[in-house]
Amino acid sequence: MKQRSRRLKVSRAQTAKVKICKFFITFHYSLFTFCNLFVYTLVKNVHWISNFTSEQFMKKSILRFGVAIFAFASLCLNGFAQARTDIFAITNARIVTVSGAPVERGTVVVRNGLIESVGANARVPADARVIDGAGLTVYPGFFDAYTNLGLTAAAPTAPQGRGQLQIQQASAQAAPTNSNYPNGLQPELTVAEQLRAGEAQFETARNNGFTTALTVGREGIFNGQSALINLAGDNVSAMIIRAPVAETVTFRTLGITYPQSLLGTFSALKQMFLDGQRYDQLKKMYDANPRGIRRPESDQSLEALLPVLSGKMPIIFNANTEREIVRVLDLAQQFNLKAVISGGQEAWKQAARLKRQNVPVLLSLNFPKRTTAISPEADLEDMETLRLRAETPKGAARLASAGVRFAFQSGNLTNLGDFLANANRATENGLTKDAAIRAMTLSAAEIFDVSDRLGSIETGKIANLVVSRGDIFNKNKTITHIFVDGRLFEQKEKPKTPPTPRGSAAPATQGLQQVGGTWSITVELPGQPTPGTLTLLQQDKTLSGSIQTQFGTSQLKDGEVTADGFRFTATIDFAGNSRELVVSGKVAGNQMSGTFTTSDGALPFSGTRNP
Amino acid sequence: MKKITAFILTSLLLLANAQIFVFAQTKQQQQDVLIRNATVLTAINGTLENTDLLVQNGKIAKIGKNLKASANARIIDATGKFVTPGIIDCHSHSMLDAINEVSYSVTSMTNVRDVLNPTDIAIYRALAGGVTTANLLHGSANPIGGQNTVVKFKYGHPVEDFIFPGAMPGIKFALGENPKRIGSNPQPGQRPRYPITRMGTLEVIRDAFLRARDYKASWDEYRVRVAKKDKTATPPRRNLELEPLVEILEGKRLVHAHGYRSDEHLNLMLIADEFGFKVATLQHALEAYKIAPEIAKRGTGASIFADSWSYKLEAYDSIPYNGYLLWKAGVLVSINSDSDERMRRLNLDAAKMMKYGGVPEEEALKMITLNPAKQLGIDKKTGSIEQGKDADIVIWTAHPFSVYARADTTMIDGEIFFDRAQDALNRIALEKERQNLEKMDANKAPGTGGTSPKIPSERRKADLDDADDIGGNQ
Repeated sequence: MKQRSRRLKVSRAQTAKVKICKFFITFHYSLFTFCNLFVYTLVKNVHWISNFTSEQFMKKSILRFGVAIFAFASLCLNGFAQARTDIFAITNARIVTVSGAPVERGTVVVRNGLIESVGANARVPADARVIDGAGLTVYPGFFDAYTNLGLTAAAPTAPQGRGQLQIQQASAQAAPTNSNYPNGLQPELTVAEQLRAGEAQFETARNNGFTTALTVGREGIFNGQSALINLAGDNVSAMIIRAPVAETVTFRTLGITYPQSLLGTFSALKQMFLDGQRYDQLKKMYDANPRGIRRPESDQSLEALLPVLSGKMPIIFNANTEREIVRVLDLAQQFNLKAVISGGQEAWKQAARLKRQNVPVLLSLNFPKRTTAISPEADLEDMETLRLRAETPKGAARLASAGVRFAFQSGNLTNLGDFLANANRATENGLTKDAAIRAMTLSAAEIFDVSDRLGSIETGKIANLVVSRGDIFNKNKTITHIFVDGRLFEQKEKPKTPPTPRGSAAPATQGLQQVGGTWSITVELPGQPTPGTLTLLQQDKTLSGSIQTQFGTSQLKDGEVTADGFRFTATIDFAGNSRELVVSGKVAGNQMSGTFTTSDGALPFSGTRNP
Repeated sequence: MKKITAFILTSLLLLANAQIFVFAQTKQQQQDVLIRNATVLTAINGTLENTDLLVQNGKIAKIGKNLKASANARIIDATGKFVTPGIIDCHSHSMLDAINEVSYSVTSMTNVRDVLNPTDIAIYRALAGGVTTANLLHGSANPIGGQNTVVKFKYGHPVEDFIFPGAMPGIKFALGENPKRIGSNPQPGQRPRYPITRMGTLEVIRDAFLRARDYKASWDEYRVRVAKKDKTATPPRRNLELEPLVEILEGKRLVHAHGYRSDEHLNLMLIADEFGFKVATLQHALEAYKIAPEIAKRGTGASIFADSWSYKLEAYDSIPYNGYLLWKAGVLVSINSDSDERMRRLNLDAAKMMKYGGVPEEEALKMITLNPAKQLGIDKKTGSIEQGKDADIVIWTAHPFSVYARADTTMIDGEIFFDRAQDALNRIALEKERQNLEKMDANKAPGTGGTSPKIPSERRKADLDDADDIGGNQ
């Protein structure tokens, strides 16, 4: 009771609207008197921070919140809308502005999607919803510098013996365009066209502190023109911060047409850059004096390359190994490109040249680690692999000390929670914490030329904020609030103590699905149903075993028996690309069905138990 | 117990030495080297007994007896050892991240320079076999393949250091089974690629040169119009496919033509006659003895295998005496490997030329040194032991044509890139490094599950460019 009243007093009258506020408070008190539950849930859910952690309340709070909102709305139509939902003041918080020194105890005010004010003495507006930030730290929202967020899952690749075949077949089915260039070599494609609306797709990223992302197409050599988006918005136009923001290239092949090898990929790119330069030259000649000059063809693909060739639009190259990075730097030099490296595992080895050519790096925090099981028959792992795993976490510090600009990206991490953990590993390997935070906020904004509106906590900038209890690199931190474009997304704080096991500790074996055995399965690859064998060994709720398909045999990981079936993960090697596979299935008698999910998409499968 | 202690002590000492050695190596480029008292096979001026070689600034500064070196020079006592020029492999696919662009019949726009891998372990192994220079070629999937790169195997250096300065640019052509087989065996979903016959292959080559001629004419015309200040003159499209072919027509690019049957090689030379250029080398050419005078007359070279006689149908007429007969007819002959593995034994391949027919010793040695240097247009700089040439030198434990010979030291531009004693030390250091690395969390196998490793582990195939690996990136 005391606690609640203290929280409410924070928004005590300070302005001309004293009366209304007084009434507002009085109203709450009376409401409290009348309806304890109502106020409690309001406090709980609007996050005027409460230390109540009762699990029962947590469970029911969503329902209650709904009821409460309804009641509140119907009761307060006459003028109390002053409790505006888009104005916030986070008080008494530690503020890591990134652009300047941190404020040890201060206030951030968010209004109309922007940061209205920030500082130790920032005034708390009367109409703000106040968040007591005692014990909390406010950071600029995190920026994931290379993602596929907001795009539909890619059509699953189903490589046959020769790996890259399917890429072409998949893209051959894409909508025909009027480009003179084949699918995969069309720089005019824009991510903005392909973005989907909807909040839910960003939830995982937001829960991990991300408010902003560069999102890039997956297909082709030219992945198209990427977009910078905020991770909220019910329609695409509300998400976009800037689009197009950069062209993107992946050194791959088109499968069964030119280029079919890395050799061809480079010559095809060079020919297109040359064609683009000539296109520009001819157009200018023609526009200046069309008489006597044959009209240059209108070419949408070359047209899209012009801002890249004039150095106005950055061009991101996916490159991890040193030699790939050297190839990018050579290409950038030859065509005077504003190149950016994405991935950059070995970028530190070329730090001096990256610095010299002023090429920034979107450094992946998906650090390599061993995934292969021990086998006495296998060769020792080669030294290059062992060294790469050891050296990669040191890369950020080395780039920093060489003065190379870099920003962090998640690099398709299976578990996005590893982003901060691996950023922390970078700090354990020599990177300062300030530099690490900068690399996931302001540095990224600078690389994409939006640091005037994003990336730090400064007055007038977009209100993208992440609030945490505990230092962001601390394992036990909790992200409590995320603001995207000034909109609050609340987090459920983790209970302070781990939940005590309910009831008897021993799981009940009886009633559990019996999924063990050898199963013949069929994976529905499009146009090519693929047989396989699933060997499941069940021990209570734990599942182990192996999965065998034409792609090889893999051991199951994290296997568990669920209410109606099972779930496990496995790493499968698709023609040299290892993919994390999440498999879930339902079992009924001797039949099973379910889905294989990879970062590329989902595939259904079915199976029968072998007698 | 004492033994163990002694072993540990020795290991520690060796490690300490290794550290010093590594430090010394970084400075080696400037350091003079004096090789003392060697038997020098010069590959041009016969064999010199008990001879010293002084290396300064990466060049062979002096050859003679009782040479003096500066105080800080590295002295190598080569008493009882043999010195040869570094071996040059005129046909290799080492260092390449991709070998064949199979999509088109003409892929002259591709260039292996774009896909070099300077960390390929094959380089180090080649150095251990005395190879210092190689002609890195596109594969043989196309009548006209990609552009080549001539490299020095400066293992451990950045990739730009590998490029042989001033080497003539070249290009791969291919005749026979490989290009026609690719055409007639399309991958699923792919149309058959023209040509699918040997005559089609030659037609593709002639057609490409006709197109290149037109292309050159369009640029010549443009330049004339620009010179006349014609403001409506628009530049032709720069065509990366035809530019190298124009260079061939202008004599600025060397053609290295893969082929086995001599009728095809002869036909290619006739096309070259027609367009007024010279084929630089006939690659493989295992039955070229049939057309030896025709080859010699044109000044074309032959780069052959020492064996692989009749190893496939179109090589059916190849004989052990091919190299001898070509040499006898005055053809410039080199012996190549086309293989990461055979590259390490080219000295023995040269020895076979003495065995089958009796090519003189120095002429046989030239087939892996000076002759390939001439074929690649780098013979002013390397290929023989002569004053003023690049110090690309191998010191052998025995005569290099002996099966007991091993390369002890291989240097390029005076810098040592392989040293057998150093290699032994490196192994100890590497083992220690491995132990430390394997202890790290990131290198530990996952506690449960995990992918099963491939057994046996995959090897990169860079052997006999039969274009079997047509899937792109190898």
